Amino acid sequence: MAEMIIKNGVVYDPKNSVDGEKNEICIKDGKIVDNVGAGAKVLDAEGCLVMPGGVDGHTHCAGKINTARIMSPHDMRYSPIPGLSGPEPRTKLLRPQVGYNTPNTHAIGYRYSKLGYTTIAEAAITPMMARHMHEEFESIPILDKLALVLMGSNWQVMQYIQDGDSEMLKSYMAWALLASRGYGVKIVNPGGGSNWTWGKNVTGIDDKVIDFDVTPADILIGLAEANEALNLPHSIHVHCNNLGVPGNLPTTLDTMKLLERVKASQDRQVMHLTHMQFHSYTGTSWMDFASGSDQIADYINKHDHLTFDMGQMIFGPAMTMTADGPTEYRNARMFDAKWSNYDQELEDAGGIVPLAYTPQHFAHATMWSIGLELALLVKDPWKVMFTTDNPNGGAFVNYPEGQVLLMSDKKRQEVIAGFPDMTMDRISLPNIDRELDWGEMTVMTRSMPAKMLGLEEKGHLGAGADADVAIYDVKPDKVDVSVEHEAVKKALGFAKYTIKGGEIVVRDGDITALPKGKVYWVNAYENGIVQTEKDRLITDLEERFKKYYSMQFSNYMVEDAYVPRPVEVRPEVA
Amino acid sequence: MQTVTLTPKRSPVISIEAEMITPDVFAGKSDAEIGAIPAWEGNEEITLADVFDVAVDGSADAAGTKIIIDGNVPRVKRIGEAMTAGEIVVKGDVDMRCGALMSGGSITVEGNADSWVGREMTGGEILVKGNATYYAGGGYRGETCGMRGGKLTIEGDVLDYLGEHMCGGEILVKGNARLLPGVLNWSGTITIEGDTTLPGGEMKSGTIFVKGKVLEMLPSYKDEGTEEVDGVTYRKYTGDLSRNGEGVLYVSV
Ligand SMILES: [Zn+2]
Repeated sequence: MAEMIIKNGVVYDPKNSVDGEKNEICIKDGKIVDNVGAGAKVLDAEGCLVMPGGVDGHTHCAGKINTARIMSPHDMRYSPIPGLSGPEPRTKLLRPQVGYNTPNTHAIGYRYSKLGYTTIAEAAITPMMARHMHEEFESIPILDKLALVLMGSNWQVMQYIQDGDSEMLKSYMAWALLASRGYGVKIVNPGGGSNWTWGKNVTGIDDKVIDFDVTPADILIGLAEANEALNLPHSIHVHCNNLGVPGNLPTTLDTMKLLERVKASQDRQVMHLTHMQFHSYTGTSWMDFASGSDQIADYINKHDHLTFDMGQMIFGPAMTMTADGPTEYRNARMFDAKWSNYDQELEDAGGIVPLAYTPQHFAHATMWSIGLELALLVKDPWKVMFTTDNPNGGAFVNYPEGQVLLMSDKKRQEVIAGFPDMTMDRISLPNIDRELDWGEMTVMTRSMPAKMLGLEEKGHLGAGADADVAIYDVKPDKVDVSVEHEAVKKALGFAKYTIKGGEIVVRDGDITALPKGKVYWVNAYENGIVQTEKDRLITDLEERFKKYYSMQFSNYMVEDAYVPRPVEVRPEVA
Repeated sequence: MQTVTLTPKRSPVISIEAEMITPDVFAGKSDAEIGAIPAWEGNEEITLADVFDVAVDGSADAAGTKIIIDGNVPRVKRIGEAMTAGEIVVKGDVDMRCGALMSGGSITVEGNADSWVGREMTGGEILVKGNATYYAGGGYRGETCGMRGGKLTIEGDVLDYLGEHMCGGEILVKGNARLLPGVLNWSGTITIEGDTTLPGGEMKSGTIFVKGKVLEMLPSYKDEGTEEVDGVTYRKYTGDLSRNGEGVLYVSV
């Protein structure tokens, strides 16, 4: 009966309409409760900022990152942010740490916790890669985790969509989540990953996929409708076609408009669009490329069926890793960078390229501006998730930097002052003076990602929520973030307290305990699919495995042993 | 002027990480202070006094400090790492990464140097009077830039990957270089007075002179005829074409 009460905090809990009030927070047995007994341990927050634990709804933290580690031994020594990066020796409590963009698994757990984050979503794994990913999850301490499963270039998915067999599509999606112990449906460059098998790509949502009579639009609509028919907690999670290509704005707008016709099965978006910064470019080449953030924001402000995350760029070394194989090939050629690229049999493609972004390069400076423009031009923070697409746009340890940029026009202007002239007519950021307040920041980093993912016990501090709380050494009623952004950035990087499941895991920026996190996954198969449909699917899959897969069907599914602390979510069957 | 003499007391089997043996660290310190500096021998923390007799004469800043290692230290790594000024003279062999990341001053190794001598150096001079092994003047694993500046001279032979990923500076090898000198280079100049094999693999730009023989030539270099440089006639090649490279390879005729 571990009880705790947090007193004297300035609490932000937007889901429960708490906006900077001196509320007490009661914790019992790892959950937020309405009240606790007189013997509860008292934690004095001393007038500091209190938020729910951070939720990163899109990060690359397990799976592909291991290949990135192999490719980048040099990353192990980078330490641009002392205390959150670089080599650190073992201590009595902690394992040794290394790295910046591709830290070791343990460091990922420690550093997210220091930032006050308590839940992370790995944004892209194929079912084939899932077993390995869960092994990495198991060695990322403290955090709760979940995984989004790649389905946008999957042969089964495309076959069933081509056949118009929506039942088989539903069955397969539910089965693939079960097989991966995955949480939601990820779509990366729909169709493009499959075409990449033949060295080709798609250029828009109406191109044909080679060997399948489907288009990216068919894949998006097929998966979205099946996602809603299965009543999954998360919507489809989409990385649009033409990532990073000048003039990709129409493709992004086409994708957004396409989904207008899909009805959500519950109170959330029907599509989450990820790393929007990389998809908001006008022009026809890098010469005339410019920000299209105003058109994207205008559309999103007028429609309620989608959410997005920023994919904010952070200057310095980054590590791009995506299932978008053709994009990574293009990156490698354009920057003469080293690269890895792979074709994952029937499931998807992928690639990894280390890059570095610099404010002296007009294109990078423009991309940096676009991420911020999008978050500031969209009026409703419940449509925006703060991300850097870690580590594609930048390492997650830079979240405080990105967050402070949203809260301080002064800081933004300081950075913009160093941009080359060639940037200035491509961006609108210099004219945007909006500064987000703590309530809006809490939405974008906690409440919105939890709602977007359908994690009801995350992202808020109401009774029944997990007792995941972040307390920062910031006095919201005394500090002017706009001016004192450096001090606030430091405070956001090293939480005064991070509480995970009712346990203090960070105190004054240092890790104090290493509980193991839970892994959320969605079982829409067992109750969601009727037996005759299960039989039909398994018969077909067995045949496909014999014909096409390098793996045996019987060895394919992630066993329970790989997910020792599961939270199995079973969607209500319509 | 300050002279610090380190005389080896024993011959360790396991390598010692000695990145603190630099004029920058030793400047102004007494023999007792230098002897008390911690170092790692494998997984054991030791002090410099465990390995060396330390004698100090005078006191000065880094530029005025000369370190003499009076003997053979083939298992002492990282001597002179990141030094900015002053002088180091080693009267014997050194282990790996001698002079890595150095930006100024000079190092003389009177014996042989193990791999990665002058790794990522940006300035200063290193002279190895014996041989060096792999990756002399090379980069850190995974980085795209090796040596960026300064001068590295090896009077004997070197093994493979001399000046790998070189981005600037100057390398002179008076003996032979084995496989792939100047591999993946971006810039800088390498001169090999002896023979070598497959120079300039995937070189993007930069310059390599081979005054001896090229024992095997990459097929992806374009023959540009002969050219005279400093009174010597060379056959000039450009490449590596497999990487659209614009590097220049001069081979004496
Ligand atoms: Zn991503």
